[in-house]
Amino acid sequence: MLKRLMKSALAACVVLPTAAMAADLDSMTPEQLLPLAQKEGSVTVFSLSSRIAKIEKAFEEAYPGVDLIGLDMSSTKQIARLEAEQQAGVHAVDVLYIADTPVVFSKLLEAKRIVNYVPPRVAAQIDDRYKGPLLTQRLSTKVLMYNEKAFPGGSPVTNLWQLTQPEWQGKVLMVDPSQRGELLDLLTEIALHPDEMAAAYKAQFGKDIAVDADLQGAGEQFIKDLFANDLILVPNSDVLNKSVGDATAKNPPVGFGTYSDRRDNEKEGWALQVANNVEPANGILFPAVLTIAEKAPHPAAARLLIDFMFGDDTPTGGAGFEPFNVPGDYATRTTIAHHPDSVKLGELKAWTIDPAKTAAARGRVSDLIITLQ
Amino acid sequence: MTFISTFAPSGGRRLLRSGFVMPAILVAIVAILVVAPLVRILLSTLTPAGIGAWQAVLFSPLSFNLWWRPLFNTMVLGFGVASGCLILGGFLAWLVVLTDVPGRRLLGLMGTLPYMIPSFAAALAWGTLFRNSRLGGSAGFFETNGLAIPDWLAWGLVPTAIVLIAHYYSLAYAIIAAALSSVGADLVEAGQMAGAKRPRIFFGIILPVVTPALIAAASLTFAGAVANFAAPALLGLPVRMQTLSTRLFGMIETGQNERGFVLALLLIAVSALFLWISDRIVSGRKAFITVTGKGGRTKRFPLGAWRWPLFAVAVLVGLLTTVTPVLVLAASSLAPQSGALFSNWTLHFWIGEGGGEIAQGQAGIFRNPVLIDAIWNTIRLGLVVALTTMLLGLALAYTIVQRRGSLLATILSQLAFVPLLVPSIAFAAAYIALFGAPIGPLPSLYGTFALLVIAASAHNLPFAVQSGRSVLGQISADIEESARLTGAGLLRRLFAIIFPLAIRGLFAGAILVFVKMVRDLSLVVLLFTATSPVLSMVAYRYAAEGFMQFANAITLVILIVCLAASFLAHGLQNRVQKWKES
Repeated sequence: MLKRLMKSALAACVVLPTAAMAADLDSMTPEQLLPLAQKEGSVTVFSLSSRIAKIEKAFEEAYPGVDLIGLDMSSTKQIARLEAEQQAGVHAVDVLYIADTPVVFSKLLEAKRIVNYVPPRVAAQIDDRYKGPLLTQRLSTKVLMYNEKAFPGGSPVTNLWQLTQPEWQGKVLMVDPSQRGELLDLLTEIALHPDEMAAAYKAQFGKDIAVDADLQGAGEQFIKDLFANDLILVPNSDVLNKSVGDATAKNPPVGFGTYSDRRDNEKEGWALQVANNVEPANGILFPAVLTIAEKAPHPAAARLLIDFMFGDDTPTGGAGFEPFNVPGDYATRTTIAHHPDSVKLGELKAWTIDPAKTAAARGRVSDLIITLQ
Repeated sequence: MTFISTFAPSGGRRLLRSGFVMPAILVAIVAILVVAPLVRILLSTLTPAGIGAWQAVLFSPLSFNLWWRPLFNTMVLGFGVASGCLILGGFLAWLVVLTDVPGRRLLGLMGTLPYMIPSFAAALAWGTLFRNSRLGGSAGFFETNGLAIPDWLAWGLVPTAIVLIAHYYSLAYAIIAAALSSVGADLVEAGQMAGAKRPRIFFGIILPVVTPALIAAASLTFAGAVANFAAPALLGLPVRMQTLSTRLFGMIETGQNERGFVLALLLIAVSALFLWISDRIVSGRKAFITVTGKGGRTKRFPLGAWRWPLFAVAVLVGLLTTVTPVLVLAASSLAPQSGALFSNWTLHFWIGEGGGEIAQGQAGIFRNPVLIDAIWNTIRLGLVVALTTMLLGLALAYTIVQRRGSLLATILSQLAFVPLLVPSIAFAAAYIALFGAPIGPLPSLYGTFALLVIAASAHNLPFAVQSGRSVLGQISADIEESARLTGAGLLRRLFAIIFPLAIRGLFAGAILVFVKMVRDLSLVVLLFTATSPVLSMVAYRYAAEGFMQFANAITLVILIVCLAASFLAHGLQNRVQKWKES
């Protein structure tokens, strides 16, 4: 009898704290998390970037006794792997560093496979819209890029609707949006802004837009016209950058690419530049998020790592953020200064995607572009 | 077979001898390894979302662009590439194995190389030569030199088919050469004594004898072409040519997995239909037995005046399909700018010290501390998977050949073909979900090397089974039956008779598996949990950060590993089959 009582008391000691713990952990400072994390011993992270190797080194130096295991794989593979593992009842990964947020939102967050966590240390320094439903660490871009050597007077395009005109026929490039999520998100965002697209149409052509009966709004009409104007699809951004950016080109095309690829201009002989002065917007900003897997085996270490990856209080963000601090990408933490050579976040004329809204609208746009091919 | 089983003495042994146990075990293994993941994928398309996907793919305004047009492109590619590979690979195999063409070893080596070079390298090589102004950027060699290249030659079906033939013909070569080497001199000499002219011997004796190998080669190259992603993506997308593989990749990449799985299942069904037809063709005819145990010397035809011209043709094919892509790869691991492959070469990406201006201070690959580890891991994984796959494949091929024409053989051979067409990401995810949890007394396999090996063996099974079948089909039953009469058990027969006789075909298959394993990323990255990576993961890391030169250097390292493995296999097989030297 006594033995059984002892047992259940012991069990309660083990179970109760774990139930209460998650909530507690969320409000702990790094100093409070550290001893718990050291007891856990390690933390496993899936990362979209192989720069996680640099984080590993810095993290283990900052917090000895917590071993960081970083596996780099694409967002799609992270999602597939997490889903499969949890279906098998395996809980092996703690932290996901992942993009493709519309899919993350519908497949992982809504299915309760991940939980959102905002480190209290930096919570006050992050805009509310970046704290939920998923915590954004930084923003990347898919925006209109042009060749600054061939067009020294600035962007040859000032209104998206110009891209549907004969002078740009066969001269607009894009990584196939039916192959890559970010580009699908870009077109979805355009479809989600019918009013701005209609206004831009009027500004360009001086008349109201007539939208086809089977389409919803000016954004979808733009997508249709863009495809009809021989939009050229390419398999990856490497091909796109080479085509748009080639510094020796006479009459190069423009394309929807990544602003931060501009940092390779010198190395690759490119002349990539962002077309910022574009009506109604030049593209999208999309988040890379940090999130914790449901039933993560190392909950304290997971929180410690996410806290660490928001950097220290210096303008560069220190060892925890610096590997990701490239010109053309933007930290969400306001204490981290943006690169002096790049357009400031507030001045970049790009729409910021909302994972939930994009997730809801993306299927329709995906179907539309399949019929347009 | 029946003759033997009536002689078998007691009940238990009789059961064993009647060959009931092995097929039963094999059926069970195939059910677990192939059918279970497939069923899981099928089930995931029977949810409400999945039913919607079936509708969207087959009966909706999307069907034309989502299924029918990609299907058409895929089939054109599949058949075009398979025929091209048979012609090119068959020609080369005939030349190397059955004639006195000069430089046979060199030609044989060049024939095996293209498959070891990733297909994207061949596609890049094509672009370096034929790229036109459609994409802007720097034009290819021909346009730079004033020769306008039309869109159909620069982009779309034609270049994709040519590039895929250049990549996959070596697969056909390996399988056909293995089969041809077992065409004994006695057969040919008998024909000659009967006064048959050379064409008659070729079409009347040699061709019929190697038909199973031709079918095997055709099915594998067909499947390879149909499943290939890199070439149609690089050369097809700019003119909006989609194949089922690019569609499938896109669907999974944009989170529409159900549609992707539906496409995969339909592709499997269509391919299975064609395989079934080709199977009927083979089993409809008599099997010709050429490995009789009575001296297997190979007879070489004198080519006479044609020796050097044919040699020149073969060398040209070899140069175009191996040297050009390797050159492009090598150049792109040496050139600082990917737009100017042949200028400012530096060894920095191989041995550079790092910390400088080049490549954001990244050191060369040979200074990367994980490289040696990765090479070792890669070799270990490749060897283990090649071994397990070949063992399983041999057993399967043996059963299929022994029971040619039976329902069991048909089902087994169909199932053994399927894994090649299942997208690796779906295959790997199914394995985690199926074997991640403990099953009964068996522990969870999650994160173990074993799970990776099991999944990889299943995924590469088609190579082993197809190459095994084509050779086993030629081995005479009487050798085995004599052994059986003297009381040799199945294992003894396998290792003492079948294995040495079929070794060339088996090694051909093992090399294909090894190469596929060493290069394939999707399967590995989903099942690997250790932090010490394999080479393909290291290459991916570099590529993902935009360091293509490093990635290409790693690809060359992979090529060297594959080549070394192939030399090793070649040496081994010559030691085992000493009687072949004439």
